[in-house]
Amino acid sequence: MVLPPNVSEADFNAALNEFRSAVGANWVFTSDEDVALYRDSYSIYWGEPEERVASAAVAPSKVDEVQQVVRTANKYRIPLYPISTGRNLTYGGSAPTMRGSVVLDLKRMNRILEVDEKRAFALVEPGVSYFDLYNYIRERNLKVMLDVPDPGWGSPVGNSLDHGAGYTSAHFRDHFGSHCGMEVVTPEGDLVRTGMGALPNSETWQEFRYGAGPYIDGLFTQSNFGVVTKMGFWLMPMPENYLYGTITVPRYQDLEPLIQEVSYFEDLGLLGMPSYGSPLGGGLMGPPAPALTELMQNGWPTADALENFVASQKRPAWSVELNFYGPEETVRANWQAAKRRFAKAIPGAAFQDGELLALPIPKEKEATQGDKPRLGIPALEVFTIATRNPINNADPPDGHADFFAYVPRKASAVWAAARVMYETYREMGVPPMHHPFSTPINYYSRCFIVATLVPTYRNAAKNAKSRELFGKVMDRCAEHGFGCYRTSPAFQDRLMSKYSFNNNALLRFHQKIKDSIDPNGVISPGRYGIWPAKMRGNRG
Amino acid sequence: MVDRRSVLKAGAASVAGALVGMPTVLSAAPADSPRPLHAAVFVRRFRQGAAFAEEMQRRNVAIFSAGNDIAQLWYSDLAGGLNPHNAPIAGLTDRVTLFCLEELARSAGMRVLYRVDHFVNEHGNVEHNAVGPASVVEATGKLTSTSAFGREMAVLACRFEYRELRDTSALKHTGPFCPGNKVVLVSWMIA
Repeated sequence: MVLPPNVSEADFNAALNEFRSAVGANWVFTSDEDVALYRDSYSIYWGEPEERVASAAVAPSKVDEVQQVVRTANKYRIPLYPISTGRNLTYGGSAPTMRGSVVLDLKRMNRILEVDEKRAFALVEPGVSYFDLYNYIRERNLKVMLDVPDPGWGSPVGNSLDHGAGYTSAHFRDHFGSHCGMEVVTPEGDLVRTGMGALPNSETWQEFRYGAGPYIDGLFTQSNFGVVTKMGFWLMPMPENYLYGTITVPRYQDLEPLIQEVSYFEDLGLLGMPSYGSPLGGGLMGPPAPALTELMQNGWPTADALENFVASQKRPAWSVELNFYGPEETVRANWQAAKRRFAKAIPGAAFQDGELLALPIPKEKEATQGDKPRLGIPALEVFTIATRNPINNADPPDGHADFFAYVPRKASAVWAAARVMYETYREMGVPPMHHPFSTPINYYSRCFIVATLVPTYRNAAKNAKSRELFGKVMDRCAEHGFGCYRTSPAFQDRLMSKYSFNNNALLRFHQKIKDSIDPNGVISPGRYGIWPAKMRGNRG
Repeated sequence: MVDRRSVLKAGAASVAGALVGMPTVLSAAPADSPRPLHAAVFVRRFRQGAAFAEEMQRRNVAIFSAGNDIAQLWYSDLAGGLNPHNAPIAGLTDRVTLFCLEELARSAGMRVLYRVDHFVNEHGNVEHNAVGPASVVEATGKLTSTSAFGREMAVLACRFEYRELRDTSALKHTGPFCPGNKVVLVSWMIA
């Protein structure tokens, strides 16, 4: 058994016994086979001493049990690592940030407390998954739609607190941005409700997020300042229809006006998440297409060479799929307006009408429906799609560590970020995934992501190389101001060291909060670089 | 890792003879496990998957075809109120199905007890790699590259003594990926 750092076996056992008293003996897990379930399947330290493994797990079913567990943790200085469903693979999964922590598994707190279809919100506990909430809504034929991440096996609470995102309109696909009100067990075991939840008898906890005074909800995201036990979410009223259409543009330089026009519609709130592509690229995460590989034999091509290449291929340089939600009259009108504006802004723009789907998708058609997340249907099909990896075809990885660089919403920034990643891979002797036709992802409406997936293995030597590559990509991107927004525990200290304005004032501020509200450092030590004073040392 | 009961079972299988060839050694081995399987999951598009399902059906085990999205199967048929006592689930599927089910099963306190990866090359020859209790490793070691392993794995699953096993070697053994030049099927049990 792994013990928490600086905790004696006697104290640990005493704490476990108190946990058992709080939640029931069946819900404290200490055997190797039970604790091993919490290993991170995608760990980049798999099987190494640095792998973040738990010492035990405890699964409360009610808020007062969480409070009791937290108080016991303070008494014996036991580090706790709360998880909701623990399925945010590539970002640590169910494994703790610090080796030896006790996983506080909130899976039994899986109650859907309220779904109000008229006021379009939900209030849920952390153990509720998107599948649970979706099935609840469908079974009751409620006229609201979820925005789901992909894969959809996580929890709305956990995903939001980790800044996860979905696929529908900007109001909803920023999952933390669409939350309203939370309940938090503080690191010392107190209970706080935020916003209007602090006002007894209020009925607007899930409708007005600010209440009065400082707005503190953001403090509980990617942090270790408390255990969120309830959270409200705004839901999209079920749209009558979904319509998509595809636009292609002929020239390499057309990406800039294409982005500007898409952003116009996006910022008006008329779109779901736009999907950029390039018929000449080779896929979002894959290696460049063969013709492009040939063009890049001598490195990153010049702008002229790229324009000539596009002309020689006799195919459009870029594409974007636009998605509309609403009554048939409005989605068709918006698509028509898009055609008019894009045709005027970009000579040679071409348009392909997509299908109009009535929502919700009938139950009997769900299984065969494509692109489910865009329709608010949680799915796991992404794993089926991703199981073939063109870069590691003969030697597949066991997982991946995602690096999502946030870059300005303009073509020049997309190209710059892709080139930074391309050159970093080359420098490391790894076949690059990026090329001049790499396309951005638009999870957050006001910012682009340029992504790379670094493979992880059940092999220490390979993982060492992957860690070196991942770290180098992080370093190079930060030098250009491209910040990663979310990473696994293995890289959280390094990531936060990049957010270094004014001698790391942001991290120092986080540490001051930590020292004040969690003096014993029991909640998720080290999460996103925030270590308790006693463990801080030279970290970060 | 390996408890006395599993060693004894491995010994019984060894004495009885090779697993390959029909009738199999397993037909002479101990009777089916006293705790029945809740369900068997299979991939229909592979012949061995269909053979696995056929044998399971013959043994009155409920069978479910794994489609592209295993989640609805998990929520609708395999977990929760439909399997309140976490009765074991066996499968012969692709790796991605097992990967997803293993992650989903954690919330129900269930885990992978054993897995046998079957690597099928372009000529149709199969290499078997078992991880888990000695009984499974030993029995599977007798399969050949041309064995009708679908049925064999069904028999093995029905007779596997799963209780009180402490072996963790099969947990999270691989990711969902498989080599591009091979088909990888995997037989498994979750309980």
